[in-house]
Amino acid sequence: MVEISSDVIRGYNDTMILCILMKGPSYGYEISKQIKTISEEKYVIKETTLYSAFTRMEKNEFIESFVADPGPDGNGKKRTYYRITEKGKEYYREKCEEWALTKDVIEKFIEH
Amino acid sequence: METIKNYLESMFASMPNTPEVRKAKAELLQMMEDKYNELISEGTSENAAVGTVISEFGNLDELAESLSLTKEVEVARGMESEMPRRFISLDEAKSYLSNRNKKALFKALGILLCIISVSFVIIMAPHGMKVLSGVGMMIISIALGIGFLVYSGFADHEWKFIGHEACSIDMNTATYVKEKRRSFEPIRALCVSLGVVLLVVCWTPNILIPFRYMPLGAGIMFLVIGIGVFLIVYPNSIARGFDRLLNVNEKSTISGQYANGGSYTRPVKYKSKTAQTICEVYWPTVTCIYLIISFLTFSWGTTWIIWVIAGVFHRVVMINCTEDEN
Repeated sequence: MVEISSDVIRGYNDTMILCILMKGPSYGYEISKQIKTISEEKYVIKETTLYSAFTRMEKNEFIESFVADPGPDGNGKKRTYYRITEKGKEYYREKCEEWALTKDVIEKFIEH
Repeated sequence: METIKNYLESMFASMPNTPEVRKAKAELLQMMEDKYNELISEGTSENAAVGTVISEFGNLDELAESLSLTKEVEVARGMESEMPRRFISLDEAKSYLSNRNKKALFKALGILLCIISVSFVIIMAPHGMKVLSGVGMMIISIALGIGFLVYSGFADHEWKFIGHEACSIDMNTATYVKEKRRSFEPIRALCVSLGVVLLVVCWTPNILIPFRYMPLGAGIMFLVIGIGVFLIVYPNSIARGFDRLLNVNEKSTISGQYANGGSYTRPVKYKSKTAQTICEVYWPTVTCIYLIISFLTFSWGTTWIIWVIAGVFHRVVMINCTEDEN
């Protein structure tokens, strides 16, 4: 079975995370679960990758973090939530355009 | 879940202990815990859940990069390969602790014998003929005591590297030692308080026993002092073993924090080298002064007061020579 190469996907982890945060604030495990579901279980993001992306994007002011209670299914423990900023939304749209272009280009070299 | 925690601890063990790293560790643990709980609630077996969580964890190089710790991690790895820290396994830790127990016992017994040796001479002294046998018993007692002390000095010979060489323990061992320390603490506290009480009341035989038997009172006093000191030295020496093990990890890394949670034999901080010397020779000097004055004047009935004065004075010396932690 072909697996996704981490080198290729690296530049787009941020895009996936931002896409999920566009729908509303979320926390670590919830985000990784959604990535798995949306990708139809074809891509599982590693915990370290996810957390690295959070710190990097927070430094770049694409996202902000805050602490909140996830409700009954969180065992009463507080989680660090992330929410997207205006700058983050802008960055997300740029990345979407970039991907459309990338896809166009690469597609021309792919023989089906 | 314990396995996951231990795995995470071992991954982070050589990372520098900074707020960012601690936060990263806590966040990662939370994510892993969430994933683990969900897998379990879906009916996955515990082993399979642990396997999945660990296989999907990733590696720390990436994290070090985003936390701009690449340099620190490389330095830590470099040190590791240049001068590897000797790893102490759980079994080794257990055997170190039981050995430490033996060492502590011989040390405390040695001190006890040295202290009570004086009693023999004092008790026998007034009975003319028996002075010699008293001295004989004193010498035997001192010899035995010194023998025990020397033995206790060599007893942990094979463990000398702990505290001298760079060593490391893992989370599992740290948890075990901490638990041991926790359950030992009430026993230690009880013994030490009893010891202190004995030291405080040690002079009472001098008052209770009529004057003409005075030497007997002084003799009993040394016995009481000996037992009091034994009760303080023995458990404290065992306790130092726990602390020594818990403190082997490199302080600046995450694993250096395993010892946290209250070390009760906190090292005393002296203001200067002279202050340290004064404190170290304090009690032996008092003992010498006491013995010299007592043997010269043979007024055992009054010289015990030296201990009371010395006790009060010790407090003053300690306040002036040590630095307040707070």
